[in-house]
Amino acid sequence: MSTAPAEGGAPASGSRRTGFMLLTLIVAFVFFWLYRNAPAPESGTGAAPTTGLEGFRDDAWLLPDEAMLGFVEVPAGAFVMGSNPLQDPMAYENERWSAARRQGNPELPAYYIGRYEVTMAQFNVFAAQSGGRAAPRDGAPAYPVTGVTWPEALAYGRWLEEQMRTSPATPRAIREALDSGWRVTLPSEAQWEKAARGVDGRIFPWGSDPGASNANFGGGSPREVTAGACPQCSYGLADMGGNVWEMTNSPLQSYPIDPAAEPALDADALFVMRGGSWADTANNVRAAVRGAVDPGVRNPGIGFRLVISPP
Amino acid sequence: MAETAGSIAGEKVLALPGAAAGGLLLLSLVGRVQGNEVLLASTLGAAAVLLLWLGWQWIGFQRSGEYPGVRILLRPQHYVQALVQSSVFLYWGYYWSPVYDHFWLLGAQLLFAYGFDMLLAWSRKREYLFGFGPFPIIFSINLFLWFRDDWFYLQYLMLAAGFMGKEYVRWMRDGRNVHIFNPSAFALGLFSLALIVTGTTQLTWGQEIASTLTLAPNIYTFLFLAGLVVMYFFSITLVAGMAAISLFVMSALYFALTGVPYFIDSEIPAAVFLGLHLLVTDPSTSPRTPLGKALFGVLYGLGVFGLYTLLGALGAPTFYDKLLCVPLLNLCVIAIDRAVKSIPSESWALMWKRGWNPARANVAHMALWIAVFAGASFAGKTDSRHTGDSVPFWEQACAESLPNACGRLLQLQATYCGDNSAWACNELGAHYREGRITDADAELSLGFFSRACELKSMAACRNLLRTDAMYRPPPGDLDLRLLLREGGLNLMEMPPADLYRRACEHDWQFACEEGSS
Repeated sequence: MSTAPAEGGAPASGSRRTGFMLLTLIVAFVFFWLYRNAPAPESGTGAAPTTGLEGFRDDAWLLPDEAMLGFVEVPAGAFVMGSNPLQDPMAYENERWSAARRQGNPELPAYYIGRYEVTMAQFNVFAAQSGGRAAPRDGAPAYPVTGVTWPEALAYGRWLEEQMRTSPATPRAIREALDSGWRVTLPSEAQWEKAARGVDGRIFPWGSDPGASNANFGGGSPREVTAGACPQCSYGLADMGGNVWEMTNSPLQSYPIDPAAEPALDADALFVMRGGSWADTANNVRAAVRGAVDPGVRNPGIGFRLVISPP
Repeated sequence: MAETAGSIAGEKVLALPGAAAGGLLLLSLVGRVQGNEVLLASTLGAAAVLLLWLGWQWIGFQRSGEYPGVRILLRPQHYVQALVQSSVFLYWGYYWSPVYDHFWLLGAQLLFAYGFDMLLAWSRKREYLFGFGPFPIIFSINLFLWFRDDWFYLQYLMLAAGFMGKEYVRWMRDGRNVHIFNPSAFALGLFSLALIVTGTTQLTWGQEIASTLTLAPNIYTFLFLAGLVVMYFFSITLVAGMAAISLFVMSALYFALTGVPYFIDSEIPAAVFLGLHLLVTDPSTSPRTPLGKALFGVLYGLGVFGLYTLLGALGAPTFYDKLLCVPLLNLCVIAIDRAVKSIPSESWALMWKRGWNPARANVAHMALWIAVFAGASFAGKTDSRHTGDSVPFWEQACAESLPNACGRLLQLQATYCGDNSAWACNELGAHYREGRITDADAELSLGFFSRACELKSMAACRNLLRTDAMYRPPPGDLDLRLLLREGGLNLMEMPPADLYRRACEHDWQFACEEGSS
């Protein structure tokens, strides 16, 4: 056995220098490797946004290529809200306005609502500039964005509002509305229902016959938002029934709606969603149907559209 | 205590590192390792390194015809320490399951450590002392820091750095060539520094490790009792005891001067209490004289105390405080020994009974330490409920503008928000919107409100919708179950009446009113 004793000696020689250098290299590598893998500052995802999408404007956050960037005005006035089972046998109990009345007639000021559901591409423009507030979604650019939480949908609205306030691409009417305090946000439940059924109390956005449209429901899968063009629908809005459920900013409460009522703060948050999805049957794509969504949920069947609404 | 000795010689010793590598290969078949690609590759890589190095050395031995030696030496300071550390893992892991999930990886690290240490010794033309030496090093490192599965190759590098530091970073002390640094503290110190500088703490379990010890009930008493074993066998009482006493004293002084605890929810954080028993106490890298040991302990206490503030001020995680100061203290050992040389500390330490031998003096020091710990426990400074446990205490302290209170309140609420308390996230959102106790930050505020809203807080969702009003209800039942948890108690199943009683005891006024109504 020719090796030195384990202890007490003074191991010297070049091997110590080599070992020390090796140790230094390991430490330097660890510093370098950790530095390289340190989380990047939150300045967006760096992903290149979609461009050249037909029917959408590259210079206006990929909103629809229309004079009002896809926003449609809904005039002020009253409308019929809720369901009358005598006219609509598919009505659910929670669509009844009150013990005394089957339907209500709330009055709303004018507002703008998106003709289409918000698309993947539009949301991803926001995600890329959001500083990490929202992750980009995978999917075809012109499909409705899904799998976003309720606060992320609101954040998209806030971001778009900031952009529109200062951009020359913003139509004058919208700029003036924003200047006078209007907000880009999710629609209230009443705004959504009025936009869906107009003022004639129809059952479906396209009328009262479930089959009389090219709406996307009854199975299958989601589709591009522009595929749902519906001239006969109220205000010409697309996919108000089917394609994906749409979130609103209204907490789920029993009718009748009281805009001044504050929801209970000690109950779990739950928000109304409307419109049904591609996976639903006809009864769930009616204009008066009320679904509910947990604000933290990401669901492939739930998306949203925006309104520009007075304060 | 006697050490058992024996030896192995000849070509067959090469089977030992081969067995370590083989053990790693076998462990790579275990589901825990197979479950993560990087972890699997790291373990296979560690085995490959050992095998390649062994092959290299085998060629050298074949050429020279001389084979390395292995001497079996079972030192009590290794196996007793390892047993004590194992008991901590077992007890803590009973209340925090990731510890038990980590056991396979502890085994992998031990195998790597044996193989690496053996090959390192042979590369230095030394015989290898085969015993339990790697156990306390591996356990000591893993009691404070381990990398997440996706980064586990860095854990193997950390071990390698520890053993290489022991082998190559040496100096002459009292005429002997000895290693400067406590091997585990050296590795922990270097890697902690790298993690702080690069801001990559989230690649490790460090934060969770530091904060989950207290999930085990009466952890201070447990660590104290475990520490007594080490103190009795290895005379580390002066180091550990003085470190603890200086921390108790400084914490008490700080509280007396400011009205708020220095460490948020303890006099000494449990992980620091663990560190001063099992990390700083390596006899071969600490002073030899009694006064030197006492001074070493006091300096550790001061170091932890100072680093806690320094790290906080730099925005770095404060749990590194106990890790960073050990290598620095190791570097001061010769200076400490020299400084106290002129003082007859041996006789001071034995002043009450001249003629006692060091072992008997150690028992006397232990008796004093037991009295100090008992006193601290009776005064509610160890396992009892701590003043800083209560969020309302910090809210009140912040309202009264006591030093650091608002910062600590934010820190505490950020911890609870991270634990999915919607109330805590909503409160943080409110603070950053108001800009009263911290600078207003609209983006941060919206981020916290969003998080709280996703956790189903209606108040937070309303705060997102309305900027002209602020909704700040008291914590809900689920929040209370998170805010009031301590010492392994499962509050998730606690009846609401008991929960509110407990909340009232923690100064939640609304809960007292709820309970009485």
